[in-house]
Amino acid sequence: MSDRSDPGAPRPHDDRPGAAPGPPPPVGPEQPPGPGYGPPAAPPGYGPPPGYAPPPGYGPPPGYGTAADATPGPWPAPAPPYPGPWGPAAAPSADGEEPRQRLHPLSPALHGAKSLVVVIAGLSWSTLSRVGFGWFALLVTVFVLGATVLSVVSWWNTGYHLVGRELRVYEGLLWRRTRAIPLERLQAVEVVRPLLAQLTGLAELRLEVVGGGKTEAPLAYLSVAEATVLRQRLLAVAGRAPTPAATEPGVPAASGTPVAPAPAGRRLHVVRNQDLLVSQLLTPQAFLLPVGVVFVGAQFLSEGSWSFIAVASTLTAMAGVVLQPVRRVLDDWSFRLDRDDGTLRVHNGLLETRVQTVPLHRVQTVRATWPLLWRMKGWLRLRLEVAGYSAGEPDDRNRPDRLLPVGDAGTGAMVVAEVLPGVRLDELPGTPPPSRARWLRPLSRKVVGAGLDERVFVARSGLLTRQLTLVPYARIQSVRVTQGPAQRLLRLATVHADTAGGAGAAAVDRDLADAWELAAELTERSRAARRADHRR
Amino acid sequence: MSGDGHTGLPPASRSALEPWPDTVDWRPISRDLIWVELIRLGIGLAALLVVLGVAWALSGHWLLGAAVGVALLIGVWRAITIVRAVRAWGYAERDDDLLVRHGLLVRRLSIVPYSRMQFVDVSAGPLERAFDLATVQLHTAAAASDARVPGLRPAEASRLRDRLTALGEDRAEGL
Repeated sequence: MSDRSDPGAPRPHDDRPGAAPGPPPPVGPEQPPGPGYGPPAAPPGYGPPPGYAPPPGYGPPPGYGTAADATPGPWPAPAPPYPGPWGPAAAPSADGEEPRQRLHPLSPALHGAKSLVVVIAGLSWSTLSRVGFGWFALLVTVFVLGATVLSVVSWWNTGYHLVGRELRVYEGLLWRRTRAIPLERLQAVEVVRPLLAQLTGLAELRLEVVGGGKTEAPLAYLSVAEATVLRQRLLAVAGRAPTPAATEPGVPAASGTPVAPAPAGRRLHVVRNQDLLVSQLLTPQAFLLPVGVVFVGAQFLSEGSWSFIAVASTLTAMAGVVLQPVRRVLDDWSFRLDRDDGTLRVHNGLLETRVQTVPLHRVQTVRATWPLLWRMKGWLRLRLEVAGYSAGEPDDRNRPDRLLPVGDAGTGAMVVAEVLPGVRLDELPGTPPPSRARWLRPLSRKVVGAGLDERVFVARSGLLTRQLTLVPYARIQSVRVTQGPAQRLLRLATVHADTAGGAGAAAVDRDLADAWELAAELTERSRAARRADHRR
Repeated sequence: MSGDGHTGLPPASRSALEPWPDTVDWRPISRDLIWVELIRLGIGLAALLVVLGVAWALSGHWLLGAAVGVALLIGVWRAITIVRAVRAWGYAERDDDLLVRHGLLVRRLSIVPYSRMQFVDVSAGPLERAFDLATVQLHTAAAASDARVPGLRPAEASRLRDRLTALGEDRAEGL
């Protein structure tokens, strides 16, 4: 088992600023005396020990360089109240000397407001009943004030700028941290706007980077304009090496000419909110809810006891059950899908809006799902996987995997053709496992299957909730063949295609000879596809 | 494919886990790993037996006695499978990828292209060091990739590591 905590060798949050390819960092770490410190002047006063590099007073370890000298003093641009105008955009960062930007000055207030909720939840209602309202309010105020002061301090010490092909984020007061995020590893950018941020015109920028343990550099908060501009720049830098437009060769009709699309983006699809509502009503939770209500009501009526606890806990349980569909509705409200040159842009959300930008060549897998109850409508859901931290995150709301919350077959085929040119959702190859596999999967043998399309590996699974997984050959990381004891008796084996992020795809219960052939073919095709990608 | 064919070491057994026998040159791992694994098993088993034995002596319940017996039986069975499992472990270097096969109950074969390599780990615990062994593990960006080769002589381990890194750098494609 490989350790999933750290799949990327060169850590994205490498602390050494000198590692940057391209233009030198603002204050060269190699030439020890930063101009501001004036070590030529310093030596006369107190002779520094020989061989000791000059940072005055507390010495950051040599080689720590730029990160350490970020005391409030040497901030490059303390003058403007906040980094409003994008100065460096006007003066292109050809020589990398871009001043550090602060986050938006309102961000501490937003963080403080966020902590209000946490504090109240933490103190809980039982505390309220015990200490009385006055004390409770006082406690809350103290905690929130403390949190706000802390966030002001951290805001003051947080900065970011683009150096060469890296985004550097500086943060921390006592423990300074500089994260250099190599943008070659950028997989997706998300602009998230929680309700409060929407009211104040702010946005949080989240980067999905391979090899990061958790959310890498959520820049919270920026003004919307800043966030948009920064996202544009990050993607431009990230996409420079493999020109995104050229990544997918123009397969006729489906992708259109790669040059033509207007910079504003091309609307691919808008999900009707009505469909979304219906789709979430067609879930087991929504279906079972009335049954549950009737059952519970009948029980109460027959017993005639309406104790507060019973009612409250019943309501809580029901809220828990319907939470998922409700959340989905809120999350996927006014879902729009745009294609912009080589990137895919997903807008969604009601209370918390998200704009997710994924370069198409970063898509690792596409998964189509046909839930049982949706079949009467012929609907399907599409998800995509990108590599990054979120695969390991328990909360799948932060997973940037939305592609289509609900849509009919035609829409699904159209979206898939956009994301994976040349792939036709309704005409994918696939053969079921041999008939002796019925001993292992008596019901689902006909449903599962696998096939090799021209550009993607196709795997089907699921009896009630049908699933189809598409893995482009160029994205396969490794191929595995496994054979359990029962499979060995039946001379069957399972072939897995692993991808970075997500579960990959598996062709289950293939005939053994077939499995070897499939593995060899997958290896061969993925190599060929990688080569082709590389040459481009 | 590897040019020298299968003239080299005769593999432990021509099982279903060895596809493409004519093009792939499977190499076994050191048999000393058997001892490492057996000692590891012995330590674990001894600790368990001591706990169970003390509990049995103190309480005198027959269930605990039965548990001791079961633990011993499982230990013996495990020892036998260890021997076979180590023999079943093998790896092969092809031009473009590394093949690793292992497992008895559930048999696994991994095919990992060098170009997908993110980093290589070489590790050796105290027991492994005592037997002059090391483990090489190849990591890709996919968490599921499973390319671990234990029981290598240090020289072989560093040769493999160097070869993997060299080939990986040559063809690095990452994602």
